Amino acid sequence: MQTILSIAIDAFAYGMALFIICIGLSLTMGLMRVVNLAHGAFAMIAGYIASYAARDLGLGYAVAIFLAIIGTVIISIPIERLLYRRIYGKPELIQVLMTIGITFCVIGITNYFFGPTLKTIPLPGSLSQPVDIGFKTIAAHRLFVMACGGVVAGGLWFLIERTDFGIKLRATVDNAAMADALGVRTQVVYAISFAIAIGLAALGGVVGAEFLPIEPYYALRYMVTFLVVVSVGGAGSIPGAVVACLLLGAVDTTGRYLMPEFGNFFFYAAVIAIVCVFPRGFFGRAQ
Amino acid sequence: MKASKGILGAAIGALLLGSVSAYADTIKVGIIGPFSGPFALQGKNFQAGVEAYMALNGKSVKGHDIEVIYRDLPAANPAQSRALAQELVVKEKVQYLGGVYFTPDAMAITPLLKQANTPLVIFNAATSAIMTQSPLVVRTSFTTAQTTSPLGKIATERGVKKVISAVSDYGPGVDAEAAFKKAFEAAGGQVVEAIRMPLNTNDFSPIMQRVRDSGAEAVFAFLPSGPTTLGFVKAYNETGLKQAGIKFFAPGDLTQESDLPALGDGAVGLLTTFHYAVSHDSPENKKFVEAATKAVGGAEQLSFPSVGAYDGMHVIYKMIEATDGKQDAQKAVDAVKGLSWTSPRGPVSIDAETRHITENIYLREVVKGPDGKTFNKEIQTFPNQKDPGLATQ
Amino acid sequence: MQVIAQTESVAAAPSTGSRWLRDVTGVILIIAAGLAGYWLFPDNLALLTRVIAIALLVLSIDLITGYCGVATLGQAALFGAGAYAAGIACVNGVTEPLTLIVIGAVAGSAAGLLMGTIMLRAHGLAQLVLSIAIVQLFHEAANKASAYTGGSDGLAGLTVSPLFGVFEFDLWGQTAYLFGLALLVVVFVVLKFIVSSPFGMLCRGIKQDPIRIRAMGSFVFPVLLKMFVISGAVAGMGGALAAISTQVVGLDSVSFELSANALVMLVLGGLGTLYGALVGTVIFMGFEHIVSSINPFHWMTMVGALLIAVVIAAPGGLSGVLERISGSGRGKKGGRA
Repeated sequence: MQTILSIAIDAFAYGMALFIICIGLSLTMGLMRVVNLAHGAFAMIAGYIASYAARDLGLGYAVAIFLAIIGTVIISIPIERLLYRRIYGKPELIQVLMTIGITFCVIGITNYFFGPTLKTIPLPGSLSQPVDIGFKTIAAHRLFVMACGGVVAGGLWFLIERTDFGIKLRATVDNAAMADALGVRTQVVYAISFAIAIGLAALGGVVGAEFLPIEPYYALRYMVTFLVVVSVGGAGSIPGAVVACLLLGAVDTTGRYLMPEFGNFFFYAAVIAIVCVFPRGFFGRAQ
Repeated sequence: MKASKGILGAAIGALLLGSVSAYADTIKVGIIGPFSGPFALQGKNFQAGVEAYMALNGKSVKGHDIEVIYRDLPAANPAQSRALAQELVVKEKVQYLGGVYFTPDAMAITPLLKQANTPLVIFNAATSAIMTQSPLVVRTSFTTAQTTSPLGKIATERGVKKVISAVSDYGPGVDAEAAFKKAFEAAGGQVVEAIRMPLNTNDFSPIMQRVRDSGAEAVFAFLPSGPTTLGFVKAYNETGLKQAGIKFFAPGDLTQESDLPALGDGAVGLLTTFHYAVSHDSPENKKFVEAATKAVGGAEQLSFPSVGAYDGMHVIYKMIEATDGKQDAQKAVDAVKGLSWTSPRGPVSIDAETRHITENIYLREVVKGPDGKTFNKEIQTFPNQKDPGLATQ
Repeated sequence: MQVIAQTESVAAAPSTGSRWLRDVTGVILIIAAGLAGYWLFPDNLALLTRVIAIALLVLSIDLITGYCGVATLGQAALFGAGAYAAGIACVNGVTEPLTLIVIGAVAGSAAGLLMGTIMLRAHGLAQLVLSIAIVQLFHEAANKASAYTGGSDGLAGLTVSPLFGVFEFDLWGQTAYLFGLALLVVVFVVLKFIVSSPFGMLCRGIKQDPIRIRAMGSFVFPVLLKMFVISGAVAGMGGALAAISTQVVGLDSVSFELSANALVMLVLGGLGTLYGALVGTVIFMGFEHIVSSINPFHWMTMVGALLIAVVIAAPGGLSGVLERISGSGRGKKGGRA
């Protein structure tokens, strides 16, 4: 029983970390219809900023997260204006070409300026120590990640389902031309959604750095994981992303506990099974 | 479709620009390594080792100028490896091939060597079997079995009877598992469980749960250096295994110097065995570290592949000396058989029979220095270790 | 079917005669370019042979992505199946190169049959993810079965007997290259016949509107599955060629990275023309080779910049640009999603 509980809590933490990193991609892919393979690149940029702020400047963890999000969004603005604007509404494979190109550039530039070593974001003392939760010890930052995941999921749900902006966003997604005709400034809606998605990538990159360490090759190393999670959940669906992350996190963690040598088999077999039963992902929109 | 030929022609024309004409008395050395991509750090260390050697020992041997040509092979890719080797030999007319980080890449080059009349000096690729593929291969790095085997005795000496082994599920990991099991059981210990973890594991807590459940007194681990190492060591600390007194043994790939800043205090106390620590105390190493740090562009990036490259260049220089600039692969290889010298890692020699390096293996403990930075401190030496993987064949 | 980029030029139904003429010219140009490569770069034949092997892989993706509208990021599973089948056969004493190519093709088709059966159950993004999952499973299987495949150390020790008992596969790689070129031309001609056959037309129809095709009384699944098998054979031959010319088979031949690269090459060249696949492969690999020779440390930025530039300047792929420049005007650009 104790083992089951501790595996469950590990699975939950890992699933939540995946969720924070992937939800931004789910938004870009589902709501903005952009296959943004450079998502991880933005998460990595945030990681570098946070690492610089916390380790080299000695700023606090919260400040580092804040700076990383702001910094990454600022960096992304010219990229959105110059590059992403050209691929909105274009065929997906063209988007793939463009965003892979961006990823390569970011990797190359990071490697050039910051070198190929791992970068860490030092945690504050309160998050770095192990916490005894009765049946096992768990790192405090894992609890923090779980909390973050909950906040992000709740906040996004509220934003999209309960606010004016959410209504405009959904209208734009369903029919951009009609929304435009009705007075929704779709360009602005897109720009804001893009900024939110990038901000979430940044948050995920920093908070998830304990699971997925920051290094130049980050964007390509974890690209498959991101894509799989988003698609299994159904692009653009927040509940879908939550369910997919928790389920895949659970399969991954349990598989690696029970039969580590076949861990990947479990994971991808589960993906195939899920997709065969839910061909559009858990909560994907019928297209 | 006329234009498709045009574009082919353009591409082909552009390829031509890449060729460089050979100078009269310049001996070219082709180095293949992962200079970009996920293993860029290791490739950079190849370059640092080569440049350090040339900075300390001059850029010519007996009046022959040495020119080094680097070719990038970002990940294990035998087809590309062969293409690069062929290009270096046929087009760039290199007389010596060096480098190679991954085993399959070395395997793809070995069939070419005889026809190419070119020796291959391996700076890293650490599977025993490569040496048997061609008599023109010399290796200056280590094999996983070589660096792992002393751990068997070390573990029993520290009162550990039961060990759980956790290795990455790929060639070197499996080699490490086998080598440790053999050595540990020979010393009277017992491997209670052997776990193989997929290479792309991100979260190691379930593995740690397995370690805890197994009732072992220590864990033996092998993972490729880089991000996974970080996750593994973190999980070891965070799940409380360290506090529970479960010891940690691993070959030194796990605590390579360039990963130590990221591992932080979590790494303190880890016991690893390896052929080289940047902190090795000798005048040769001081000179080397100084030169290599300059070449690599920062002390925090220096790691073990640099010393493999440094000694690899030493071997290549000796080969050039012996052949006096003439291309004769067999003579060059024969000249370095049995060669011994003092490397930055300590005394080493090339085994005349296997052409693999014989070297000291050190037991190191990660400790915190006076400046607050962690480093690998050598605490025990196992002199003149040969590759047990080759000896048993 | 929305994940598909419909960027290819839809043929404006030219008369049969002119299509024939164009295809014959095209094939002659491929042969000419191939031979030019042989004469101009006698020192780079191993690279050029690798380009041909990858070109076969890219062609095989064009068949199912460009002609059937099924995007895949797992095509290396078929390539790797061919490579490992040929490699294992070779280690076990089947050393005749043509037989090895046939073995590769058979293994590739079998893998294609399996992959098609699974992938065609889903649509859009889910389909793409299935392809990723399949290639990862193949990769794991190849890693696990190290007794047969050599695992991550690679399957080494392939000794291929001389072609027709005369021409050796040696360091200079002339045999391998000319053999590969001949294979590519034959495959290309056969594929041209296939895609312009009624079957090929049906595939294009399915890509544009599967519901209408179904309403017309055709079954979609078996048609697409058949194309998967053909595509598998082509990819498998590419893998076998790579195994023969390299003499080592590594896990990279069943990797996601190879699949993704190949898809990028295809989109770069342009979908649905077969020529685009060749152009894309040559440009991508040639460019990569040049920049990585000039600067082995930081060339990735240049490749990224190339991809971005192509999207900005030529969103229809490079072969589209070529057509516009050459003014051969194969109909209007159409079918933009």
